[in-house]
Amino acid sequence: MSTNVWFLAEFADGQPTRSALELAAGAAELARGSGGVAVAAAFGPGAAAGAVGLGAAGAARAVVLDGEAGPAIGSAAPLAAALASDLPIALLAPATFNGRDLAAAVVGLLGLPAFGPVRSVRITAGAVEVEMATLQGSVITTSRPSPGAPQPAVVMALAGTFAPLEGGTGRAALDPTPTVERGPFGRAAIVETHPAEAAVVNLEEASMIVAGGRGVGSAAGFEPLRELAAALGGAVGASRAAADAGWVPYQLQIGQTGKVVKPALYLGCGISGAIQHRVGMQTAEHVVAINKDPDAPIGEFADLFVVGDLFAIVPRLTAEIRRRTGR
Amino acid sequence: MRIVVCVKQVPATTADKRYRPDLRLDRAAAEAVINPLDEYAIEQALRLQEAGTVEMVTYLSMGPPEAAESLRRALAMGGDDAVLVSDPALGGADEWVTARVLAAALDRLAPEVSLMGMASDDARGSLVPGAVAAIRGVPYLSYGSELTLAGDQARVRRLSPSGFDIVAAPLPVVASVTDQVGEPRYASLRGIMAAKRKPMETWALADLSLSAADLRGGALTTVIEVRPPEAKPPTERIADVGPDEAAVRIADWLAARKLI
Repeated sequence: MSTNVWFLAEFADGQPTRSALELAAGAAELARGSGGVAVAAAFGPGAAAGAVGLGAAGAARAVVLDGEAGPAIGSAAPLAAALASDLPIALLAPATFNGRDLAAAVVGLLGLPAFGPVRSVRITAGAVEVEMATLQGSVITTSRPSPGAPQPAVVMALAGTFAPLEGGTGRAALDPTPTVERGPFGRAAIVETHPAEAAVVNLEEASMIVAGGRGVGSAAGFEPLRELAAALGGAVGASRAAADAGWVPYQLQIGQTGKVVKPALYLGCGISGAIQHRVGMQTAEHVVAINKDPDAPIGEFADLFVVGDLFAIVPRLTAEIRRRTGR
Repeated sequence: MRIVVCVKQVPATTADKRYRPDLRLDRAAAEAVINPLDEYAIEQALRLQEAGTVEMVTYLSMGPPEAAESLRRALAMGGDDAVLVSDPALGGADEWVTARVLAAALDRLAPEVSLMGMASDDARGSLVPGAVAAIRGVPYLSYGSELTLAGDQARVRRLSPSGFDIVAAPLPVVASVTDQVGEPRYASLRGIMAAKRKPMETWALADLSLSAADLRGGALTTVIEVRPPEAKPPTERIADVGPDEAAVRIADWLAARKLI
């Protein structure tokens, strides 16, 4: 067993994703507490060439699981083999589709304790301790691996749980890729790829989000929200109702079955704030809501609740922000 | 072709949740429902059965004896039979133990497709389907917005960062589906009556040749504290002002917090 802290580092288009940089910083911080080092388990297109670069993000070592574009789950067997050779104290995984898939696979392959998504994680008395909001945020639980449980503890983290290191330098030392059969998980293959007609932003990377719901009324109704998001330097998100209506692609859906976001500012327009949406944005640092219904549930948990017509207020707010910031 | 849909009974979203002195959720005190996201897996399975692709739909749940009610409700939507795995040793089971037990039950049922919802309403780890696939040693197709079966292959349509992919694997598979498969049907009165006569078995750990030792104490994780969330400052409201003033006041609020 080691005191190292591993993290899943997903690459896309030749670059580490934002989650990889965040988890690298989180793993480095935890490893200082445990007396080990941060180790990257890199996968996805560009991982082979880019893994050493994670040294600047906080990783002391890196192992490349796979540098191909196939399903991430195909890296499960090499990941399990690499973990088994080090038995680190923890594995941090992003709470994304691919991160959850790989986390689930190693939990099953190695029989590991699993937590997540967590609000915070620390190392105390040589073991992982996590805080989670469960039952739709109605309770906060603190948990640890049971005494005698195997290592690593698998810990899932939402985007924004850790902040990437800035100005880091250095290169991660490369561990050899385990030579193992990919097994059953290697038998799933992407047989068709259908890219979107327009580029879609990754909502989990946005620090400012302007979200629209049923009250936006149409695809065209999102235009003023896009302009406000541009003035804020942020991105547009949506409720499930708006995605189901086809006004925006599902990649922009925030909520239980969409993205779980943790921006500095969430500004909801025409969103009532049903529990399924709330679990996707309640960890935002600041929540502002504009809704013409004074009794909308979002008014009970927003930090600032503005009762009014979003189509009158949003363009004026955009102009006011542009006037003040010069953007 | 047979599909087994795994169904979890969870406290209703609106239920009053309480914890027992041993830090486990008091599941008897809260109104219980089928995990809402599992209803989409049920709907997907029933559509495949209606299309003639699948002959048999079986429901599988692990939980206390009361979870039989959720299985009965699933049978009222459609499908053929159900199995409840219930054992006093399973109270407080974590993801790995749950996956280990479901995998053993699925080995015994041996379906071509083991289907699950994308997450459970009460925990949201989304780890059980993938862990079940790992323990059973079968491919895993996750987060399908549609599941199709053709020949000896299963396929899911899966959201990608910029569009969608079709991911395929040879049967048997474990698959999970999202809420985009289509709205779950309601049980009809006829369905509710028919469900009463559909077969349901209850299995204990011994029926799966599992012992408490196989489950390593029943959970690899331990809750050491449960508390209410931090109280949040009251909401500030802006109402009864014109849009010009509202815009200025929102901008002031954002500027005071250095958000612009």
